[in-house]
Amino acid sequence: MKKTHIVLLVLVAAAVCVIVSMFGDFSTYETFASASKQPGKQYHVIGFYEKTMATEYDPLKDPNHFSFFVKDKSGNLRKVIFNGAKPTDIEKSEQVVMTGYIDGENFHCSKIQMKCPSKYKKDQIAVGGAS
Amino acid sequence: MEFTGEHLGPGQLGHFFVITSFIAALFSAFSYFKAAQTETKDISASNSWLLLGRNGFIFHTASIFGIFTALYYIISSHLFEYNYAWQHSSLALPTKYLLSCFWEGQEGSFLLWTIWHCVLGLVVMATARKLESRTMAIISLVQVALTTMLLGFYFGADIKVGSTPFMLLRNQMAGAPIFAQGNYMSFIKDGNGLNVLLQNYWMVIHPPVLFLGFASTIVPFAFVMAALWKRDYQSFIKPTIAWSLFAGAVLGTGIMMGGAWAYESLTFGGYWAWDPVENASLVPWLTLVAGLHTLLVYKSTGRTLGATFILLILTYLFVWYSTFLTRTGVLGDTSVHAFTGEGKSLYWHLLVVLGVLMVLSITLLSVRWKKLPTVKGEEATSSREFWMFIGSIILLLSAFQIIFSTSLPVWAPLAKKILNKEIAPPVDPVAQYNNIQVWVAIIVALLSASILYLKFKKTETKKVWQRLGITGLIGLVISLGISLSMKIDAWQYAVLMFAACFAVVANIYYGIAIQKGSLKKMGASIAHLGFALMIVGIILSSYKKEVISINTLGVVMDFGKKTQAENIRESRENVLLFLNTPVVMGEYTATYKGDSASTDPGDPRHYYRVDYERRDSITKKVVEKFSLYPDAFINPKGQQGLSANPSSKHYLSRDVFTFITSAIDPSKRTDTASYKTYIVHKGDSIYFNNGYMVFENVDGKVNDPRYQPEQGDLAVTATMDVYDASGLVKKIKPLYYLRGQSSNYIEDTLRDMGIYTRFSRVIPEDNAIEILLKQTNPKDDYIVLKAMVFPYINVLWLGTAVMVIGFLLSIWYRVGQKEKLPVFSDDLTEKE
Repeated sequence: MKKTHIVLLVLVAAAVCVIVSMFGDFSTYETFASASKQPGKQYHVIGFYEKTMATEYDPLKDPNHFSFFVKDKSGNLRKVIFNGAKPTDIEKSEQVVMTGYIDGENFHCSKIQMKCPSKYKKDQIAVGGAS
Repeated sequence: MEFTGEHLGPGQLGHFFVITSFIAALFSAFSYFKAAQTETKDISASNSWLLLGRNGFIFHTASIFGIFTALYYIISSHLFEYNYAWQHSSLALPTKYLLSCFWEGQEGSFLLWTIWHCVLGLVVMATARKLESRTMAIISLVQVALTTMLLGFYFGADIKVGSTPFMLLRNQMAGAPIFAQGNYMSFIKDGNGLNVLLQNYWMVIHPPVLFLGFASTIVPFAFVMAALWKRDYQSFIKPTIAWSLFAGAVLGTGIMMGGAWAYESLTFGGYWAWDPVENASLVPWLTLVAGLHTLLVYKSTGRTLGATFILLILTYLFVWYSTFLTRTGVLGDTSVHAFTGEGKSLYWHLLVVLGVLMVLSITLLSVRWKKLPTVKGEEATSSREFWMFIGSIILLLSAFQIIFSTSLPVWAPLAKKILNKEIAPPVDPVAQYNNIQVWVAIIVALLSASILYLKFKKTETKKVWQRLGITGLIGLVISLGISLSMKIDAWQYAVLMFAACFAVVANIYYGIAIQKGSLKKMGASIAHLGFALMIVGIILSSYKKEVISINTLGVVMDFGKKTQAENIRESRENVLLFLNTPVVMGEYTATYKGDSASTDPGDPRHYYRVDYERRDSITKKVVEKFSLYPDAFINPKGQQGLSANPSSKHYLSRDVFTFITSAIDPSKRTDTASYKTYIVHKGDSIYFNNGYMVFENVDGKVNDPRYQPEQGDLAVTATMDVYDASGLVKKIKPLYYLRGQSSNYIEDTLRDMGIYTRFSRVIPEDNAIEILLKQTNPKDDYIVLKAMVFPYINVLWLGTAVMVIGFLLSIWYRVGQKEKLPVFSDDLTEKE
């Protein structure tokens, strides 16, 4: 066997290992119910902004605290706390994807991604967490 | 029904050009194909076909420019009966952004791509010589595919091919009640306007460059296909190297311009976020650079021809796959950009094009594979080709990892069937990419430091080890110095810092000591030097990025982020600034000084002034003072809230980067402050929130432009000296006058302190006056701000420029080289 072949084999094996190990990093899409089985663990939850419920963002009190209600895909309503400023136009979003975890009754999220109804507008993302 | 007020001419003309450009491309592809077919059998027929093919392509190019002109006319004349103009432009849009409308929409983007292909095609036509028929057949074929994207033909009710930019609004939104009236045009006054994020000078230059980079990858692809088709594995080498260098330089510039745009005008807080759209342009660049290196190996040694073909074909397939990922909305929830495109028709259209290109190229390559020239025997471990090949494979694997992660939404449905889990991107996608790609960067940086010292085929290793040892040692010392002083405490990044510093030193040494500073030959070492500088810049600016707008004062920041609580602490990155109330941010004291609309009526933005002061830590003296004006679109396009643009203070060694995350809507601002009454004698003081004022005197000689004297008036001004914590600021002079029986006053204000004074009464018996004073309540006006420091980000921009210069020098050198048969040709025939 040629040297290049051996090196190639080693590299491909390493690449396969890397890709397999990557699966451990991938998160999953969950509902509030399934995410609360493991409080504190971070998941992605897809849901819909609930217009009828009260939202709270008072920068005078805390500029990094925005709370609102979201109905997830299976219809469960939860209070969501976002560690950041209120994302622009969240009232008009038709879907939100949140990255966060369940703590007690509430869902704490560090990232919100919104889908907006107009196809002329780009999707928007709001990040509260440091990256 | 008759519709009135429409201008149908430009659209019809434009659509006519769409059809002629499609037919001409088809004709050109067919003619060039015939020219290639008859080349060996019948040279005169081949020449006639060649001529037809050329004319076809020139006619195609003219038609494409016709489409462009028609669309530009429609947008610049604000013909809102056309959907494209209505969707992407508005009357108020400044002229400089008219071109940006082209790349906001999907049809315009495809048009831009097609235009670049035309320009590149003409150059290839003029320079490809013996390979012209075949390369141009490939390019024309791709043009056929691209022009179908603009056709907008319906087959039956459901199948739609392409989407025309000349669609009328009333057809696009057929059924909307407004179009039941023939004179609907008199109700459509203005267009929807351009996305505010795109109203930025970076968006004027970045998309054309990026699209040129994407478009230019077709040329190496076409030459590779032509070589395989003709079984001529010699004459494609020189043009393919030159064009790969060109594509690498332009695509690289385009990608980094995208980074600069994100950094300068978006609020991601950085220049690179491993976003799918960024990845989609990076991946073809990686495989292109890998293919360029294996091609250089082939040129000098006759090895790695197969790898070169695979890599350059893969590059072009990745370009189309990227288009598929970013344009069809398959990325769905994972991308910030995620263009929700044309939906199903575009989805299938792009898949078909991608499929055709794949089948064509893979079939051709596999048919020829067995008979590709190879070199018997093994390359020496100390040879340049061996390590260049390894480096190329590393780049390819890196590209695979990136595209695999980016394609998650594509393969997730399959994974769901197997694992019964809905796989989502990692909670911290950036960390996942960084943790893997840091190793790629280390290996590539080490290779780019050392490879140039090795020679093709055989190397005298003793001297190489000597030189690498010395440069490595210098690199180690420098990197230790940087890592220790900058506190790079993650060991992977410290290793990467060493690899990058080593590459910087080694390439500078190579250029000066071995190439004797001959600029023309230094392309490779300069490109490698630029790459290494970029790595240094990335580590320093990203790893040491620091958010200074921390809201919880006194809390020690821990960047280890192990637990949720720490993450949350870290995410408290927005700080509230009340008007005129200083807040400590890092080593600065920041004060929000008020807001204003732009003086330019065409500029809808709102500017917020924030003053920064830096004091010496010992003497407490102000050593530096500057103002930043982060701005925002308030309630853009009927949205609630604001869309912010950052503002940065650039130093040579770092950037202070700020943007507004929330602010009071100026129209809803309330004034809760009220006037208080003070009776003052000469020398008396009035105290207010952050200072005081002293009443100096009353003056009967009035000199105030706001006051128009009349006969019989009695006017006086009161002069008061205003002091703040640091001393005398200004004089304030409210005015009082008697006209007939009524007493009047003209207020004087100190806007930046929020002070309003009114001279309301003279009390002669007491030798005093009455002053009314109001200070705006700072809580009535505030902004929420995010601020961070990017250290040494200029090293990244410098590295980018150096790398691109290296690419360009290489083109200059390669194009200037005499056409000569590659050196390996002798031993090839011997060994085969």
